[in-house]
Amino acid sequence: MKHLIVVGAGLTGLFAAALAAARGARVTLVARGRGSLALSHGCIDLWATKSPSRSIRRLRHPHPYALAGGFPRLQSALADFIYLLDRQGIEYHGAPSRNHRLITALGTAHLTALAPFSLAAGDLNRAEPIVVAGFEGFFDFSPHLVASGLQRQGADIQDCLTLPLIELPPGRERFATDLARLFETPEWRRELARSWKPRLTGVRHLALPAVLGLEHNFIVWQELQDLLALTISEIPTLPPSLPGIRLERALRRSLSSAGVQIIEGSRAVGRVDGRSGGQLVSGVVLQTAGGPRLIAADAVILATGGVLNGGLVFHEDGRVQESVFDLPVAHDDDRTRWLGSDPFGSHPYALFGLHVDQHMRPLGANAKPAFENLFAAGSLLAGADRSREGSRQGIDLATAHCAVEAALA
Amino acid sequence: MIPLPTIDACLKCNICTAACPVAAVSDAFPGPKAVGPQAQRFRHPRLQLSERSIALCSGCGVCSRVCPHGVAVADVNIVAKAHYAQQSGVPLRDHIISRPATLARLARPLAGLANLSLRLRPIRQTMELLLGVASEAPLPPFAPRTLRRQLADRCVIADRIPRLPADTIAYFHGCSSQHYEPHIGIMTVHLLEQLGFNVVLPPQTCCGLPLQSNGLLDAARRYARKNAGSLAPVIEAGIPIVGTSTSCTLALKHDYRSILDLRSETFDALAESTFDLFEFLLWRASDRLPRLECQALSARALYHPPCQLRLHGVGTPALEVLQHIPGLEILVSEHECCGVAGTYGLKRERYDTARQVGSPLFQQAQSAEVDFLITDSETCRWWLNAHTGLPAYHPVEVIAMAIGLQVPCPTRNAP
Repeated sequence: MKHLIVVGAGLTGLFAAALAAARGARVTLVARGRGSLALSHGCIDLWATKSPSRSIRRLRHPHPYALAGGFPRLQSALADFIYLLDRQGIEYHGAPSRNHRLITALGTAHLTALAPFSLAAGDLNRAEPIVVAGFEGFFDFSPHLVASGLQRQGADIQDCLTLPLIELPPGRERFATDLARLFETPEWRRELARSWKPRLTGVRHLALPAVLGLEHNFIVWQELQDLLALTISEIPTLPPSLPGIRLERALRRSLSSAGVQIIEGSRAVGRVDGRSGGQLVSGVVLQTAGGPRLIAADAVILATGGVLNGGLVFHEDGRVQESVFDLPVAHDDDRTRWLGSDPFGSHPYALFGLHVDQHMRPLGANAKPAFENLFAAGSLLAGADRSREGSRQGIDLATAHCAVEAALA
Repeated sequence: MIPLPTIDACLKCNICTAACPVAAVSDAFPGPKAVGPQAQRFRHPRLQLSERSIALCSGCGVCSRVCPHGVAVADVNIVAKAHYAQQSGVPLRDHIISRPATLARLARPLAGLANLSLRLRPIRQTMELLLGVASEAPLPPFAPRTLRRQLADRCVIADRIPRLPADTIAYFHGCSSQHYEPHIGIMTVHLLEQLGFNVVLPPQTCCGLPLQSNGLLDAARRYARKNAGSLAPVIEAGIPIVGTSTSCTLALKHDYRSILDLRSETFDALAESTFDLFEFLLWRASDRLPRLECQALSARALYHPPCQLRLHGVGTPALEVLQHIPGLEILVSEHECCGVAGTYGLKRERYDTARQVGSPLFQQAQSAEVDFLITDSETCRWWLNAHTGLPAYHPVEVIAMAIGLQVPCPTRNAP
């Protein structure tokens, strides 16, 4: 049985670890902190056009989608992802041929291919009149902002209201996670539904901030729809964002049931196998609270993320470093050229990262794989402007899928 | 290579708040980000601290562990909480509960009587009234004989240490094995000896963690320096220091340097020489583990990795080792913290919060129909046992069961 180390616990790392474990590998997941899924909308963005599949088919090297095997690779990765999440109780709806148009907390339309059931229910393509509601005492979500934004885009907004929450003791500011826990209490939510009912006559579709439960999201969502006799959709909030947290917990549950060993809280430093003449890596050394601890493995997958997550470190003198193996990073040495002039436009730094071959092996100085058994996936890779393309999670899943297959081959 | 993580690395993303077990149950606690990286900007050594909510932090450290940007949230908060405690006055109770060794030394001559009275409700109610020690919170019984007295032949003095044979291990027993659960220390020594190691008990004192958690930082520093001094010959001789209490070993590895701010080569060397027992078995003795003859244990257990173990950054080594015991089915806790967080749950004003933090774990334990619980930290064990009614064992007790090592435990029925 092959022993694989995955470094990083964001979407890429968790998915890679789950996939490798499902394919019979012994997996150790090593992470410095929790990944940033709790900041995420929990959807799988592939490409922000009407039809992602058509756009992705046109891509060529060195775009990570193309390197990982193009659209067929993405399809296999999505199939594995949907199956994995379905087994953990989260149904993802959608297909790469046509994007959902989902509601954001800023009142814009979010183009995404796969969304958890309760978010997918709010697809603006359905063109039914929507009532947007927030909650009294919950300041992380403004129904007015959402409604006015959507109206500007021509969506059919029937009304916008602030619903009361019963028996909320005075206390600190409420976060989405606090409300999610309250919604998991059956008596509380039933009484709440009763108190809302008179205010919601004539409403067919109610869009609420995504706080409808944590572990029992489906039951909460279903029960509220039944009690109120209308369609309910969820809109992701400011962090902590429940759809992302639910996705993270589901992936972690699947790791735990597959026996994946998880080591959190230590930074990993790459270890090269001295006997291989620099051809192979032997594992990683963890900088633990005490001394360094070596974990040896047959292969390592880096899923450490980009500059925001610590996979890449940008220095003031213009150097850009890869944080585990100090691999060469494609970048511009002149810091003044990292940013574009329009904040919402494109920025050259977004394309920085590792160049990899078709097996997701990072390339060394001579444009050959740096090591035979070292792989990289996700935001660490060069060649994609994820925010502009709306391609972040699709690249994460496709490259993780490719890296796992190559590492276990 | 990587810049030192500071509060400036905080993006205010709230991941720590979402993961904080105290914020999940307490409306009064605004969460680790608010009392930590956020409030820290308004703190100054010469200014009074204004926000009282920092006192609600249990110090479990989940916030530091989940931060994606390497901010040591818990370290910031533990120091701020200590300053707040000093400013507002540390109550008598906290001076008492933070000195388990002194307490045990005073009680030992009358251990039987002391243990009996701790079981009597009126006495516990009086203690709650007078001192503020929650009457429902479990307090461990004092052992009639200390570990060091029972293992007097393995206690060494400093000038003998350089002449010890190769393969020697220094056991850091902490207060729990010394005064409350000597059988755990004895099992550890026997287990290591069966694996071919020579085990000694070097001079040592309480690690000082309870003092640190209760705001008595100067007293904690005195203990830390004392330990660093008495363990120096062990470290110089290249002998690993192995402990069974994951909070003591965390203090030696991390807290002395990062929270008590004792930064020197001595403390670096102490940290690098220290191991949790199972961390040691996995990383330094895995080739010897097949020597153990494990019999099948047909049992179902729930393993809970304590917060303090998780902060070591070594994963769950006890789980890795116990999984090799045939017949033993181990479920893993789905929850971050059992609630007690050392001495936090013993306090009258914190007991309910601590119980609510632990309640999902108690429920998991009860609905999973397990025969017993396993967890490395002593305070977690006492707390989980009191709230679930299930036996709660240290992992070394489970190994002892599997290899047929029987050590009598006068204060509890042996497993």
